[in-house]
Amino acid sequence: MRWIHRVCPVTGLKIDRQADLLIRAHGVAATVALLIGGIAAVLVLLTRWQAVHLLDAVWFYRILTVHGLTMLIFFILFFEMAVLYFTGPVLLNSRVPAPRVGWAAFALMVAGAVLAEWMMWTGRADVLLSSYVPLRAHPLYYLGIILFAVGALIVTFQFFASLVVAKRERTYEGSVPLITFGAATAAIIAVITLGHGAGIYIPTFLWSLGLMDVDPQIYRMVWWALGHASQQVNVAAMVSVWYLLGALTVGSVVLNEKISRTAFVLYILFISLASAHHLLVDPGFGPAWKVVNTSYFMYMAVLASMLHGFTVPAGVEVGQRLRGYTQGLFGWIRRAPWGDPGFSSLVLSVVVFGFVGGITGVTIGTEQINMIVHNTLRVPGHFHATVVSGTAMAFMGLTYYLIPLIFRKKIAFWPLAKWQPYLFAGGMLFFSIFMSFAGGFAVPRRHWDITFSNAPFDLQFSPAVDLVMGVMAVGGLVAAVGGALYILITVWSVFFGEPIREGELSNAHVRPAAGAGESATAVA
Amino acid sequence: MHTGMQSPRGVWWKPAHGSEKVWFGLAFGWSMVLFAMMPLWHWKGGQNPSGIRGKVDPAAYRARVEEFIAAYQVGMDGGFPIVEPPPGSDIYMMGQMWNWTPVLKLRKGVEYTLHLSSVDVNHGFALYPINVNFQVVPGYDYALRITPSEAGDFRVMCNEFCGIGHHMMLGRIIVVDEDGEVPGDVAASQDAGVSGEGVASAEPAGDGAGPAGGAAVAGKMAADGAGRRGQEATSGAAVRDHAAAPGAEVSR
Amino acid sequence: MTSPHDPYRDPPKAIPLGQRLYDNWLLLLVVGILVMVLIYTGWGLWEVLTLPLSALP
Repeated sequence: MRWIHRVCPVTGLKIDRQADLLIRAHGVAATVALLIGGIAAVLVLLTRWQAVHLLDAVWFYRILTVHGLTMLIFFILFFEMAVLYFTGPVLLNSRVPAPRVGWAAFALMVAGAVLAEWMMWTGRADVLLSSYVPLRAHPLYYLGIILFAVGALIVTFQFFASLVVAKRERTYEGSVPLITFGAATAAIIAVITLGHGAGIYIPTFLWSLGLMDVDPQIYRMVWWALGHASQQVNVAAMVSVWYLLGALTVGSVVLNEKISRTAFVLYILFISLASAHHLLVDPGFGPAWKVVNTSYFMYMAVLASMLHGFTVPAGVEVGQRLRGYTQGLFGWIRRAPWGDPGFSSLVLSVVVFGFVGGITGVTIGTEQINMIVHNTLRVPGHFHATVVSGTAMAFMGLTYYLIPLIFRKKIAFWPLAKWQPYLFAGGMLFFSIFMSFAGGFAVPRRHWDITFSNAPFDLQFSPAVDLVMGVMAVGGLVAAVGGALYILITVWSVFFGEPIREGELSNAHVRPAAGAGESATAVA
Repeated sequence: MHTGMQSPRGVWWKPAHGSEKVWFGLAFGWSMVLFAMMPLWHWKGGQNPSGIRGKVDPAAYRARVEEFIAAYQVGMDGGFPIVEPPPGSDIYMMGQMWNWTPVLKLRKGVEYTLHLSSVDVNHGFALYPINVNFQVVPGYDYALRITPSEAGDFRVMCNEFCGIGHHMMLGRIIVVDEDGEVPGDVAASQDAGVSGEGVASAEPAGDGAGPAGGAAVAGKMAADGAGRRGQEATSGAAVRDHAAAPGAEVSR
Repeated sequence: MTSPHDPYRDPPKAIPLGQRLYDNWLLLLVVGILVMVLIYTGWGLWEVLTLPLSALP
């Protein structure tokens, strides 16, 4: 069946065929990356759990490199590119401005990712995600990352082009929807972060060929503008997905466009400065630079997150009340669709991101506390709460709607899908908190053997560390089961799932609350 | 009323609802409090990592460390020179794949200027059990004024990945008391009662510690140190009253 | 919930400056890059490059 666009029966949106296909392609690539990174996660976890200590040292650092790059860069950026195609061409009722460029960019990203994976798995890039110069990897590893970043940059410019095209072709009236505005925020931060990525990886690539020198301190500074700011792309994309999930699951409303958009603008202006959190105990920078940058220029980006943390739940409440759940103060919570994985993902993502990830992040990002935190397990304890049970959880929740709406398949194993978010976020909650505790005992991150069995001196951590890291490991394994269920459910739904025929969405488990219903039509 | 998926038309730049305004005010006020604490605690807290900073050629740094070792070496320990520098002097520690050189022997209550640098790749200076961490970057000299406030046997982990031997990279700093002795190092030294207590209270410092984090850390370190010694303890030979744990101050 | 004065349906009045600024993604992109490049990258580079040579006393 050839078609140029179809009309979504649920949201009434015109879905451009190329956007539809590109969303599918990026979604599939993201899931493959999640699978690879997830397997690596379990291997890393079972090694750091000293009672199991699965991998040898070489493979531990190798797989840790794989885990970091595949999850934090490949999985998340592939998914975000899908979000950009959805929030640009689809939400604006428009089209992909240059589909061929889109596919070329996708090919670049895939080629870059494959190249970097190949280098890592064959042991030519045992440098961990941060690959601090002068620790040297094979030149093709850097080239792979450059190709991936260039591809992702092209997609963000395609997104901006779609804003221009939609405006010129008048496919929407007024301002772009809030969710598109949030995605534009993510895209702008992506330009900042990918620009810095190119700015450091191109010299590093030349350095690996012996053509130039790279200063280790300048490398650390510019690299973290990629390494940390790319996670701020996640924050902006995740918040957009929060608004989107709220709209899809309970028809939540935007209370005030000005407040919500101001919060996004604060992200654009200040959140990338947080890259300096990694350099608080570095020799190269003075206290003024550190204070200004690590405070996100006076905590303005923290203010933004606190605003979203208010408007998203408040929007859900008003949406629920509009749907008739008006009983008492908390009737809207009791009657919320807790069995809808899209909704439970939203709530779990907001709560764990805000209360665990956000608070730990702001705390450890101060000059003095960072001295007792830097490179201990408290750092990964923090960012697993933000990136995994925050961003990844929200993205998983969105998938439960993308599959019926874009892939037009029913969600397979529905009873499991209902439980998947609780399993994943619950496990991750224990994992993050107990990992932070272990860091409080000074246990270093990125370390194969904290018993120091081959070291010239002895060092024994407090016996409580064994217990704390045992709980951490169990939490991580529970989350891994949740992640595996997600992959099973989505892959099975997409490839072997029952197709949704026209006008049949009411049987598709998830029943989006937003928009007017029109039946799907195939054009041309 | 519309969802975030719909384009708002006309003017949406409108005053917020009262509840949103209140929340905005609270959040903004809190952000300002957090921010005010940063410069305030930098000036008043006396817990800054700032140190004395400068560029250095790795070869020159290595030469300086070797000179330092030659001048003040007092013995060997596990294949590494033990260096006992004069009180108040500039002292050096060099990170390299995969050791910290040399072993330092310092005196309690005396200020030193500790220089840290690497001669190959990035390393992480992690003083245990104090839990104070600094990034050690090749080509940069990071100097910290330190005054060991307790005698003890300390370890320096590497907490930045530096290659395949990273987990074996462990250095040592010995702090002797006024009598020239290391309490924690003596085989008979233990204090069963205290170590039990230490284990019980060995909880990580809460994030809520905020600006008082330093104090909380010192307390936790006390617990850690005691717990560790408790592990090593043999029965019934309480000798010293040094239940007090090692602690150190890092100041500008 | 359509009130007689639903602002989202009323004929467009003069669009306030703030709204026009927020609708201009190119401006936001440029300002976002500028803030980061000036405060973080530029200042940071200056910090590193102006660091004096250590005397190694």
